[in-house]
Amino acid sequence: MKKEKTEELFVKWIDGQLTSEEEVQLATLFQENENLETELQEMKSMSESITEEIPASVDPPYGDFFNSQLMRKVDLENQSGTPVKKMQRRWESFRWAWAPVVALALVLSFFAGHRLSRPADIRFVQEREEEVISAFLPTVYFTGESMEADVIADSDGDISAIFVHGLSAIRDDIDFGTVTTSTELPKSYSRSEARRFD
Amino acid sequence: MNFFRWLTSKQLMAPAGPSPDAGAGDDEISDHELIEACQKRDTKAFETLVIRHRGKVYAMVQNMIKNEADAWDLSQEVFLKVWKALPKFEARAKFSTWLYRITHNVVYDWLRKRKIESAGELDDGILNESDIAAGARTIPTKIARPDEALANLELGKRISIALATLNTEHRETILLREVQGFDYKEIAKVMECSLGTVMSRLYYARKKLQTLLCDEKGKD
Repeated sequence: MKKEKTEELFVKWIDGQLTSEEEVQLATLFQENENLETELQEMKSMSESITEEIPASVDPPYGDFFNSQLMRKVDLENQSGTPVKKMQRRWESFRWAWAPVVALALVLSFFAGHRLSRPADIRFVQEREEEVISAFLPTVYFTGESMEADVIADSDGDISAIFVHGLSAIRDDIDFGTVTTSTELPKSYSRSEARRFD
Repeated sequence: MNFFRWLTSKQLMAPAGPSPDAGAGDDEISDHELIEACQKRDTKAFETLVIRHRGKVYAMVQNMIKNEADAWDLSQEVFLKVWKALPKFEARAKFSTWLYRITHNVVYDWLRKRKIESAGELDDGILNESDIAAGARTIPTKIARPDEALANLELGKRISIALATLNTEHRETILLREVQGFDYKEIAKVMECSLGTVMSRLYYARKKLQTLLCDEKGKD
């Protein structure tokens, strides 16, 4: 039999709470060990002595004072438990979190401000970049993949001719009366051309 | 509802007979009714509940920590915690089991705190009160062995001293079982442990107590 089970049997025997099945099991143990029953009987009488000798209830000294003190503490507890006070205490209990929350708010507002002001800056920077590029770089044109060009250059006459193939045909249904068209050259081109002839 | 009005209505509804005194009147009210009134924050009902249970709580604490002043303070703490926690009490467990669970927590917190605070300090508890009383001998006399000292005392005190030599868990198990009369399941709930642990603690605590008490008995 397991040690835990035998301990349980002994405890229950002392307390008079054995079931009939457990009684049979313990009877076997009693037969195996002659002193066991005497030993448990002594334990039982000792348990009874404890129950008799140690009082279950002892009124605290100065019982009235005990109650008045306690009720004063209860009143204080009730006062501190009003909703306003509770809210204050809750805020106070979160005081430790204020510093990181404020720091986080500052960081977030910095990033938010930075992000809001960025588009204007970008536009400004892009315009500046365009100006710089147009000022220092020549205008370069790229053809599409479907386009081919033949270049005929005459070095003596300092003349060149370029034939471009692969441009899509102008559709017949386009009404040139209504389409917004412009014959003006891009500003950057005009500026670069003007600079060239200065 | 006001507690006094509620109490009066209870007495008016009570069967005719000799009018009970205030104390007897209080006894007629069940713990359950008092708890319900307390949950509505009725302080008078709570005071009645305290009067009814303070003796048991104080005795338990006193037997656990062996210090009257601290037991008094800790009992106050227990009831203050009870007042705070009562609105959440759902009566799934017996009130007494719940009350002793709070007592258990308060005592263990105190013991833990005291252990930390007194680490490395002299433990006053090990001194015999008569040796430090006014007019006591300044030169320590030979302190008798625990079993010798036990033999010279009356049974109640001998048991009390023997109990004090047990470890906290064994002492509490014995007190809950032999003194407060709790069943095994209730002890397990109060001490938050398994039934098997309760059985084991009871067995070894009883065995140790028997050894201590029988040793000195044999010397009589």
